[in-house]
Amino acid sequence: MNFKVVGVIARKEFKDVLRDRRTLVFMMLLPIVVMPLLMLGLFKFMARQAEAREKQVVTIAASSMDEITLRALQDVWYDSNSTVLSVILAKLGVESLGGLSDMGALLARVDVFENSEEPEVEADDDGSADTAAIEEEAQQAGMIAAGVAAMRDLTSEQSQLIKDARVIQNLLKNTEFVRFDELSGEGELAPGVEVPLELPGRLSELAVTLAVQSKEIDAAIYIPNDALVTLGEVPQAVTYRALVEDGSGERFENGDFTLLSRAPDLETVDIHLVYDSSIGNSEEAYDRVTAFVSALNRFVNVLRIDAAELPREFGRPIAVERANVATQSRRIQAALGGILPYLLFAFCFFGALYPALDVTAGEKERFTLETLLLSPVTRLEIATGKFVVVFVAAIIAAVLTTTSMILTFAQGLLPADVMASLDLEFQPLALLLTGSLVIPVAALYSASLLAVGLYARSFKEAQSYTVPLQFLFVLPTVVSLLPDIEPDSYLAWVPFVNISLLMKELLKGNYLWSFYGITLASTLLLTAIALFVASRLFSRESVLLRT
Amino acid sequence: MSPTVMVEARGLGKVYPGKKGKRTEAVRDLSFRCHEGEVFGLLGPNGAGKTTTLRMLSTVLSPTAGTAVLDGADVCAEPHLVRASIGFLSGNTGLYPRLTSREVLTYFGQLYGLESEHIKQRISELAEAFDMTEFLDKRCDRLSSGMKQKVNVARTVIHDPRILILDEPTVGLDVLASRTIVDFVRQYRDMGRCVIFSTHIMGEVSRLCDRLAIIHKGTVQFDGSPQELRERAGEDLEEAFVTILEQSP
Repeated sequence: MNFKVVGVIARKEFKDVLRDRRTLVFMMLLPIVVMPLLMLGLFKFMARQAEAREKQVVTIAASSMDEITLRALQDVWYDSNSTVLSVILAKLGVESLGGLSDMGALLARVDVFENSEEPEVEADDDGSADTAAIEEEAQQAGMIAAGVAAMRDLTSEQSQLIKDARVIQNLLKNTEFVRFDELSGEGELAPGVEVPLELPGRLSELAVTLAVQSKEIDAAIYIPNDALVTLGEVPQAVTYRALVEDGSGERFENGDFTLLSRAPDLETVDIHLVYDSSIGNSEEAYDRVTAFVSALNRFVNVLRIDAAELPREFGRPIAVERANVATQSRRIQAALGGILPYLLFAFCFFGALYPALDVTAGEKERFTLETLLLSPVTRLEIATGKFVVVFVAAIIAAVLTTTSMILTFAQGLLPADVMASLDLEFQPLALLLTGSLVIPVAALYSASLLAVGLYARSFKEAQSYTVPLQFLFVLPTVVSLLPDIEPDSYLAWVPFVNISLLMKELLKGNYLWSFYGITLASTLLLTAIALFVASRLFSRESVLLRT
Repeated sequence: MSPTVMVEARGLGKVYPGKKGKRTEAVRDLSFRCHEGEVFGLLGPNGAGKTTTLRMLSTVLSPTAGTAVLDGADVCAEPHLVRASIGFLSGNTGLYPRLTSREVLTYFGQLYGLESEHIKQRISELAEAFDMTEFLDKRCDRLSSGMKQKVNVARTVIHDPRILILDEPTVGLDVLASRTIVDFVRQYRDMGRCVIFSTHIMGEVSRLCDRLAIIHKGTVQFDGSPQELRERAGEDLEEAFVTILEQSP
């Protein structure tokens, strides 16, 4: 084989392929521009969805008594926890001006710390931000940074309390209550929907099920009338704003309840909920009520234990204290190790796809293959020259993609301070070995796609062949995304699966040398087979000349 | 002294394998000779086996029977030597659309192992001969079909081959472009080279061919000079051609 000739062919093919817009799109534009934008967009969308879900108003059918009980429980929770909450909030730098009356506003400020986003400086309408505003912003930014740091120092109990405050507040803030009499009761039961039998209150009525099914309401609730009594009475008087507001709760109009002024009945209050788990919003209503009840349970448990003069440990027979030996860096490495092979494989494939088909099926279509075959160079030289070009394109696409992905994560998705605190400790050897695996992958893809492109009559036909190939070649790498697949010596022989598993382990710092050896050997063997097939096709006139 | 034989087909045959054993015999026991300084015309109706024959001569196809010797090299045994000494042009030898004419010519010059100085010199010679200086640096996909064919002929002779094989070189060209090619073939012959070309156009046959072969159903039905054809089958070449076809078994 004359390598000078191979060089001539490779140089020409490269020039030719680079002048094709489609190649540029797949090799450069897609990995550098489209993928980062797509990732950013997807993450922003997911964040927005989660936010919207929390703010989503759910409608729950309840009697006025049920509603009053819920509000009473909320108020009891706030009043009893207000002191502790104020201390925690003060620690975070959120001053509880005007007491805890506006819990929502306070929690919104804690939210800022949790999401730890850099505050944006918004320009005024006339386009210039005045200095006072900028100073204020800067001050706020400082406060936020301090708040973010303080959040991390909270004990698990303290963070639990903030979480509880949020769910306690969320149920009543974003929930609309309707009365059972207001339900339309229209429609017929859809197949697969059953009316629950023998539930207390009006929950077993057909109208309730129909309303849930037709999304008129998201759920219906029943709370026993003596719930508050069962739970005990509170030490101090609590006024129920709800009562004053709609005046509907006659029974407790001036009723200042107290919980736990006496020993609680050690009974469970059974709250009943009718919902449809096949409807997203209904599921959300269920989640909110459950979270609300869990938060209350944590609180009432403590009250009951105290009232019974038992030690606090009474309600906590077993506790797990975690000591995670994986640093945050290692966890991120494991996550990256899962996703990186998949991205690398996919873009390697797409990078190789167009050039491979262009220099084979494309040449047939443009009637240039015969011209080339007439020149006094061997078929092997032609095959090698073309292979080199496709291989290089695949490598370029893979490297560009990986780089742009990492930059997107570092610059766009993870907040700067999180990124800085990560201090990713990839070992150079691990990176080198991971990188070395791109070579057999690119080689195998290039050789196989060349063979397919040569075999096909036209570009179109070649493209249709590559669709199943894509599944075959790229999908197996998804195993690295599965958490619990252990690399064993059998899997080392499964093409693509072995490489993606190996990459994952390498990035975690596990050097599986024999696995590496088998993987490399088996992939190179497959590449050799694909190259052999491709070069055989190059000398088969029936394949070369059919159009 | 008789002129040197440049191309000799010896009992060439080509059978295309088909589905379920349906084989197509495109060419059967085909023999002819062409000499130095001679334009040899290959005539025949569509599907007669002209293109298959020329492809076998150019080593793109390998014969299933017989062989051919071009400039002393055997197409079956030494295909690379054959490829180096011929220039081949057909409807299936296109130009790279995304490269310029100069790039295409340079590329093929390199593939034929020419030195870069030599390639430059050849390109300027050919550009002048074919009047293509103007579009030498234009991408091939932006050329008219006449321009393309000129570049293609230039590509065919970039390495100054001793044998030129042209498969219907003037098909689809206007009168002027055809004339350029016909003139070039004549010039090339006068330089002592051997040119084989297939055509449908009788005018070209009478103006160019020193000898011709008529192929029908994969075999040679006539082999001789245009003069001999007229003597045997009639004064008008086209009539003579049809007569030969009708006489064939």
